[in-house]
Amino acid sequence: MRRTGFVHQALAYDSDEAFLAGTEPYVRDGLADGDAVLAVVKRQNIALLRDALGNSSREVEFIDSDHWYGYPSRTLGQYHAYCTEHGRTAAGGPRRVRVIGEPVWSRRGELETREWMRYESLLNVAFARSGHWIVCPYDRRALSEQVLTAAARTHPELLHGRGGMALSGAYAYPEDFCAESDADALEPAPEPAREVLFDRGGSVVARYAAAEFARRGGLSEERVGDVMSAVHESALNALRFGGGRAVLRLWSRPSYLVFEIADSGANAPVGPRFPGHLPPAPQASSGHGMWVARQLSDLLEQRIARGGSVVRMHFRA
Amino acid sequence: MRVTTALTAVGRMRAGDHLFLGYGTDEERDAVLAAFVLDGLASGHRCLVLAPVDAPPDVTLGFLEHSGVDLLGALTERHLVVDTQLATADGLWDVDDLVRREAQRAVADGLLGLRVSMEILHSHAGDAFKTLKDSEVLLDQVFGTHPVLGICLYDRRVFARRELDPLDDLHHGRVGADPVWQDELLLISRTFSPPGLALTGDVDDSNVTAFARALHAETLRAAHRAVTDTHLDLRGLGFVDVCALRLLVFTALGLSAAGGHRLVLHGVAPHVRKVMRVTGWDRVPGLELAL
Repeated sequence: MRRTGFVHQALAYDSDEAFLAGTEPYVRDGLADGDAVLAVVKRQNIALLRDALGNSSREVEFIDSDHWYGYPSRTLGQYHAYCTEHGRTAAGGPRRVRVIGEPVWSRRGELETREWMRYESLLNVAFARSGHWIVCPYDRRALSEQVLTAAARTHPELLHGRGGMALSGAYAYPEDFCAESDADALEPAPEPAREVLFDRGGSVVARYAAAEFARRGGLSEERVGDVMSAVHESALNALRFGGGRAVLRLWSRPSYLVFEIADSGANAPVGPRFPGHLPPAPQASSGHGMWVARQLSDLLEQRIARGGSVVRMHFRA
Repeated sequence: MRVTTALTAVGRMRAGDHLFLGYGTDEERDAVLAAFVLDGLASGHRCLVLAPVDAPPDVTLGFLEHSGVDLLGALTERHLVVDTQLATADGLWDVDDLVRREAQRAVADGLLGLRVSMEILHSHAGDAFKTLKDSEVLLDQVFGTHPVLGICLYDRRVFARRELDPLDDLHHGRVGADPVWQDELLLISRTFSPPGLALTGDVDDSNVTAFARALHAETLRAAHRAVTDTHLDLRGLGFVDVCALRLLVFTALGLSAAGGHRLVLHGVAPHVRKVMRVTGWDRVPGLELAL
């Protein structure tokens, strides 16, 4: 099938046959058109699709989804980088990238599940102006009703059977979906191990306190550098848009260190619709700070409000 | 084993200092010497330039005018004096006497002290290296007893390392250009071989404008060089924020658009590379990350 513009479809499947019916023709059409084809799927689905494609499978890049779907913001960054690299023909013209992207939903906590759902919704914005095509397989046999319901809300189109396609009636615009995801307040912070108040010119105090906490928590020197950058950029944002004073709170939870920046929200919500979620152009005059904070941390929660904004960054210990 | 001698910024020199400058480029010599003379004029010192060649002062010292020295005025008032004794083959013989005499005269003329810069050409040093060393030793005694501070200049492109090291040891240390910027977090200094800046410490929101200023001035200087790449030595950089990196990108894009000039980064730490990778700043025209 041929399409133009960005396409983002969910493929709910309940058998190997249904998986192949939704993916094999899609790959073959892409290869016939000279598209780049990337398949990030479960290990057993890599084997299935390889067998079905035969010799053509050599033209497809396969990646085990367990190795790709680590942290939502970073995965979005990886897709962006992949499409930037492969989205051009040798002559420099645009080239469509077809992706089969099967997110990992097992072993996710409530917070992570919600962020992965948000990630699916954000793909609609991140690639809106591209000509790429993403099909996201959802295994009905293994996934919860909650995950399947969200898939219908984050994908404009649903695939079923050989070539069958329907618009998703439940589709929610990313703005609305994200607003719903953020409707609940953050989980109350525990008694922090350390609190550091800072104001203009004091981001240095915040980032060094964060670095010390990261080191004591056992992070490598490279990760300590990442913590400093993520905390610094969030701290600057808080000072700039949050009334000129902010607080850094540090605590640990099982297998994570948490770095939270909270402000009084005085000048909130000015700014981009999806702060830090979408890759800014390299030449852009702003927007890199929160993008970097999301790319470097393992999970970033954010609530922006006039009464006080919070950025909570989780780093795996 | 040879212990590396301490480096003193020219602006931190004080009476009694007898320092060594082994310069690698004319730009390095001019930068240090101009600061030395300007500081001398500001401090009420007489600046005695012992020139290595017999040429008119405006030729020898033309570079001072670019640094804002009123050359004619300074020469007329004898705040700046050029002496060509060292331009002669046996000029080294009584250079200590000359400096002693000039120091006494400066004070007698109502000035607060004497600054001496002396340069010896390799061809004059020639076979007389022993004389050169003896002169430096004798000269050192003058610095100990008179209100004098001085710099001995040697061209590293002409003198061999084995010739310079023993001479270096006869001085109280080495002198270098003044830092471009220094605060609690960051030191920005000029480098000359290759030409550019070295950053030590952290660049963040508190000093990014100082960094911008230094970088801008450096790219202006680069435009006048035969080789127009600007080099940034980032080996001592502990932290750099997105705002400062964005400035590098902006500058590099401008240099590239202005005719293929480049900004070359040396010693980029892994965590800085990572920030540059996720922002796409590692693939910007004009910005090169050296290995």
